[in-house]
Amino acid sequence: MSQFIHTDVTVVKLHQDFIITGIGSAASVFERNSLKFLERINCLIGQKIYGIVPLKDSSKFLIFGGKQFTVICIDCNLNGDTNGLNIHRHFKPLVCEDWLHSATWVDTNTVALLTAHNAVQIWDLRTQCILSQHFSADNSILYSGLLLPLQDGLLVFAGTVFSEVIIHTPLDEKPLHHLKGHRGVIFSISCNPQKRVIVSTSDDRSVRIWGINPNKPDLLSNTTEYWKNIDIVCNHEVYGHTARVMRSSITNELIVSVGEDSVICFWGYDGKLLKKHETHQNSPIWSVDANNSHLVTGGGDGAVILHPLSMASDYGQEESIILNTQTPAIPKKIAFTARNNLVILNDIDSAIHYHTTNTKTTVTHKINHGSTYKLLSVSSCKQLIAVADMSGKLDVFAENCKEDCITRVVDTNLNEKVLSMQWAGNRHLVFCGDNGNITVASSVNSTVDIYGDFVLPNCKERWLTAAAMDVKNKILIVGDRCGNVHVYVKDQKNPVKTFNKVHGRYGPTSITIKNNEFITTGRDGTIRYFSVNENDSSLAKYMTSKELEFQWVEKFIDKEENIICGFKERIFVVYNVQNNLKLIEVSCGGGHRSWDVVRYIGKVGDEYDELIKLVYVKNSEICSHTFQLSKIMSKNVINSSHSKEINCLKSFKSNLDKTISFYVTGGEDTTLRLSSINSDLQIRDEIVSKHLSNVRTVKIVDLEGSIIVVSAGGRAQIRIKLIHISRVDKHLKASSQELIDYLIKGKDKERKNNQTWRNSSIDFDPETRIMDVDVLKQNDKFLIFAGCSDACLRLFSFIYKPGNVTFEPIGEMRHHKTCILKTTCVNFLDKDILITCTTRGEVSLWDVTDIVSWDDHKPFFSTITNKCGINSIDTRVTCDNILIATGGDDNAIHLTLLEFPDLNLSGTYVKHRWSTDKFHCSQVTGVKLVDDLLVSTSIDQRVTLAKWWEEKEGIRCDFQSQIFSDIADIQGMEILSNTSGAITVCVFGKGLEVVELPK
Amino acid sequence: MGKTSKDKRDIYYRLAKEEGWRARSAFKLIQINEEYNIFDGVLRAVDLCAAPGSWSQVLTKKLRQNAENVEDVKIVAVDLQAMAALPGVIQIQGDITKLSTANEIIKEFEGKNADLVVCDGAPDVTGLHDIDEYVQSQLLLAALNITTHVLKKGGVFVAKIFRGKDVTLLYSQLKQFFEFVTVSKPRSSRNSSIEAFVICQNYQPPEGYEPTMVNPLLDHKYCDFNQFTGPNRFIVPFNACGDLSAYDSDTSYPLLLEGQTSYEYKEPVQGPINPPYKEILDKTKFSNKCWRNINA
Repeated sequence: MSQFIHTDVTVVKLHQDFIITGIGSAASVFERNSLKFLERINCLIGQKIYGIVPLKDSSKFLIFGGKQFTVICIDCNLNGDTNGLNIHRHFKPLVCEDWLHSATWVDTNTVALLTAHNAVQIWDLRTQCILSQHFSADNSILYSGLLLPLQDGLLVFAGTVFSEVIIHTPLDEKPLHHLKGHRGVIFSISCNPQKRVIVSTSDDRSVRIWGINPNKPDLLSNTTEYWKNIDIVCNHEVYGHTARVMRSSITNELIVSVGEDSVICFWGYDGKLLKKHETHQNSPIWSVDANNSHLVTGGGDGAVILHPLSMASDYGQEESIILNTQTPAIPKKIAFTARNNLVILNDIDSAIHYHTTNTKTTVTHKINHGSTYKLLSVSSCKQLIAVADMSGKLDVFAENCKEDCITRVVDTNLNEKVLSMQWAGNRHLVFCGDNGNITVASSVNSTVDIYGDFVLPNCKERWLTAAAMDVKNKILIVGDRCGNVHVYVKDQKNPVKTFNKVHGRYGPTSITIKNNEFITTGRDGTIRYFSVNENDSSLAKYMTSKELEFQWVEKFIDKEENIICGFKERIFVVYNVQNNLKLIEVSCGGGHRSWDVVRYIGKVGDEYDELIKLVYVKNSEICSHTFQLSKIMSKNVINSSHSKEINCLKSFKSNLDKTISFYVTGGEDTTLRLSSINSDLQIRDEIVSKHLSNVRTVKIVDLEGSIIVVSAGGRAQIRIKLIHISRVDKHLKASSQELIDYLIKGKDKERKNNQTWRNSSIDFDPETRIMDVDVLKQNDKFLIFAGCSDACLRLFSFIYKPGNVTFEPIGEMRHHKTCILKTTCVNFLDKDILITCTTRGEVSLWDVTDIVSWDDHKPFFSTITNKCGINSIDTRVTCDNILIATGGDDNAIHLTLLEFPDLNLSGTYVKHRWSTDKFHCSQVTGVKLVDDLLVSTSIDQRVTLAKWWEEKEGIRCDFQSQIFSDIADIQGMEILSNTSGAITVCVFGKGLEVVELPK
Repeated sequence: MGKTSKDKRDIYYRLAKEEGWRARSAFKLIQINEEYNIFDGVLRAVDLCAAPGSWSQVLTKKLRQNAENVEDVKIVAVDLQAMAALPGVIQIQGDITKLSTANEIIKEFEGKNADLVVCDGAPDVTGLHDIDEYVQSQLLLAALNITTHVLKKGGVFVAKIFRGKDVTLLYSQLKQFFEFVTVSKPRSSRNSSIEAFVICQNYQPPEGYEPTMVNPLLDHKYCDFNQFTGPNRFIVPFNACGDLSAYDSDTSYPLLLEGQTSYEYKEPVQGPINPPYKEILDKTKFSNKCWRNINA
């Protein structure tokens, strides 16, 4: 029984106030406004759903996928209580002889189906029998099709592999129209007869918009006669996607296409590309549906996202701000104040306060600057505006909290050079002068007090780019132009802790202090997280980082540190890092000009909405751009996770709450993620680290309260993270800390000796993938065994103690001749034994107890089990023998019982063998021994439960039961729980599913 | 990506270029033959879905060893797509689901039947595994259907198969036409890949079976002896093929292989002809060219 599934979303449907999704064989219903999950129902048997077709009166929904179809009905009490939603399936799915591409209702009890060999079947739902079947003369396989119900029959659109769309009816021998022009397989066809438009999408990356020109305009568009008397011409052949175009949807205003490139393109009927929107984390978008207000998409990342249709046309409100000053002046610096007004510095030494609602300048202050190098900074409450120039002239203005104007509160000269100035919070101004002299000033009334003096370590362009202060613990954190971050404490001139080069050569753009952590952003496309110890600031630690899709990350614009803004070259971007959704993208010229942004709740018409306002100076003019978020913001109905296959998964529970399982997963998409599933069956995941290449294996070690996570994979990379689970309010919060990032072959620069690619000679060493690792705790250190694709077994030692984190290679063992696929450690007879498996079906056992030298180390025992590579292994150790279960590429499972005469490793022999190739018909990718049970899974999407026992004559194993999983390309499984009645397992591959196997 | 990284990543890709094969898949057929001797006594062979032509290359080389007179060897390669010419191979650009194609093959054999039919065809994969598996199975059934028109009794049929969730339906279907059906994975096919090959020996169509191309051959349904889930599933024997000492496609090898003293990068033997994305590539080529010039 499936308890949870997250995988490809193959169909989405907007229907009335609901969003209906097809994920695997089940359909789920969500409420559209609240996005609340309402109900889930299993529709098909072991088959993904590809279509959901409502009957006109919404009383029934036809569900189809693969060769199956069924009918469900959704009864709801729409009077506010959607909890009373009741879904049921009318009948067990019926199985057709052929794959179904499209389906439609003929009447309340009759449906029409289009098969992949271009046959139309009419089924009576009451008798569940075929009424009629019509084969088309063109019966080579279709990749897509569309059935359009007409008043007097059916119209068939068939998308062939020969790059054409054939339009025919079951009654006419000859097709009515051939739409030719595509240069690849047709992936989808949509049609809107009222709008006289047909849209086809294809392998050739193009979208074709076909126009229907009726020859007899008085015919109704839902008659066969009409379709016989039309001309269809390709009005527009448009390119917007960089990969194959999967689906399209037609609305009253526009045409939407979605592609394998994770992009939604909005097209006008005139073929004009209105907007390109990237979503779904680089995974293909499989499904789309739109009505006249919304668009919903489902992707390969398992996410379902609701987009307002207005995002295609709403570019925000754009205006330019004209300052009616007496003397003409050019604005130079600009910033928002607490009341969302503007303060502007111009080239004639004035500070202007501009009232944005009244669009009037309220007050102009003259500043007597001696230098043209001017600095403007606004405190974190935005009420205080500091203006300084290089010569040390300082003015501070305060915005009156009741009135929209600013008054000068400080007018002084520091009498020293100022190279940089930042507010650190609301009370402290941080100046940096010559020779790295940092002065922190606080203002009391109209005088300026010196809070402290600090020295910035020597660097090129020795001044600050960001500063923040923890007043309570007297900690100052600054970032310099070389990308270093320094931590100071009051009364100590030099930093107590320095993090070198954390943000590239432009320096951090912002620093935010929060409780026991601080967060920095930079122009290297990252947000970095640090922890601070309030008792000893020198123990500050770098924890982890987030990579964003834009290079210039500027600052957070919300209090929860979820919404971040920055620039992707010339485009201003606002991004939500919590749910990985892009909010705004607007071309403004880039971050080098003076600009500011503010997020607030404002009144639009009669309603309040969340607004984001951007101002920037361009061509000596002030431009303002206001966005109403509800018009442009996408929302997750189901959160996204891995965009490609999950290769490895480990689960653990925290002592703080044993009901929640955490999953650490590594995937083909190069990410390592930590996820959990909440009570609403919503997955929440966070990227823990990004590898250079795919993550093939992950192992975890429980360290009382913390978890050590070792992940490895392509480019011979190993990373080690520490994950800590803590309780924040009612929820569990996971934080991670990076410990090790190691490349066996060295970093690119080390490998190429800093040569450019042009001069570098060919590197003869093979590129190595780490196929599997296992971790063994020996005394106070960890031994990490890595089985690699170059047939080499590598050993590393890892020490983790406060103040001592070391990782070093110990040795390489070239015993195997082919790629090592699995490595696993067991403890037997007080000895540590490592087991390795290869692509040749070989299983070798190594004694790795108290390893001192790795030289000439050989396995003490080897045997061949499978005919091909071993993809999965599990062991069961008793006091005098070891049972090894292996699953291989040969669809066979082997049980091998090893005996140890005199309890000595040297005499190891195989006592019994047992094997079967009947449990699975494809590669066996997961085997687990749980007590006397054997659980196995395979690419064939079955999970098998068997019982094994030992007899005198040998070992026996009997088939018990088998279930099907909707996860394609299963790469393995993990046992989540084992009770007297059932075993719960999590299978993973293209997505993950939690299933219960009754015993 | 560096020029040599593909060579490093995949030993058979590299060997194929060095030995002059148009694709690495050549080794798969060679290794299947090592295990099953499918070329024994074969003079007339059909290569379905032949492009880019590596299996036809192998057939040419191997079948010529069977004949005293090279003229007796007939190899017909069929593909929808255009394929660069190969000496000794008759090419038919056509659809294997059409009767006309079957007749054309028979015409080339002068009324005689083929001894061997091979098919290494794979569809354009969408990334949705069940659709890809279905389309692959339809391709295999189309190949089987045309095979029933051209293969002699007792003949051999070898085809690529995806071992996906419904592969047992195909196994039971193939078993109706052939006495021996085994599934096999050459050492040159990657461990992680879903692809395998069915080797169907001793063609014995069911009594009274009339080959027809009017309707496509549809695959079987689950039934008592081939359940969807359960102990009774129709699973055919599996064999790994290729020498144990052969190179392993999952292993990373250094560019200098054992016994070699030098390495030279080689271009692929045959590039793709007219891919569907050609248009868009042509459209974007200009900007790429500019980029290259700037960097030059």
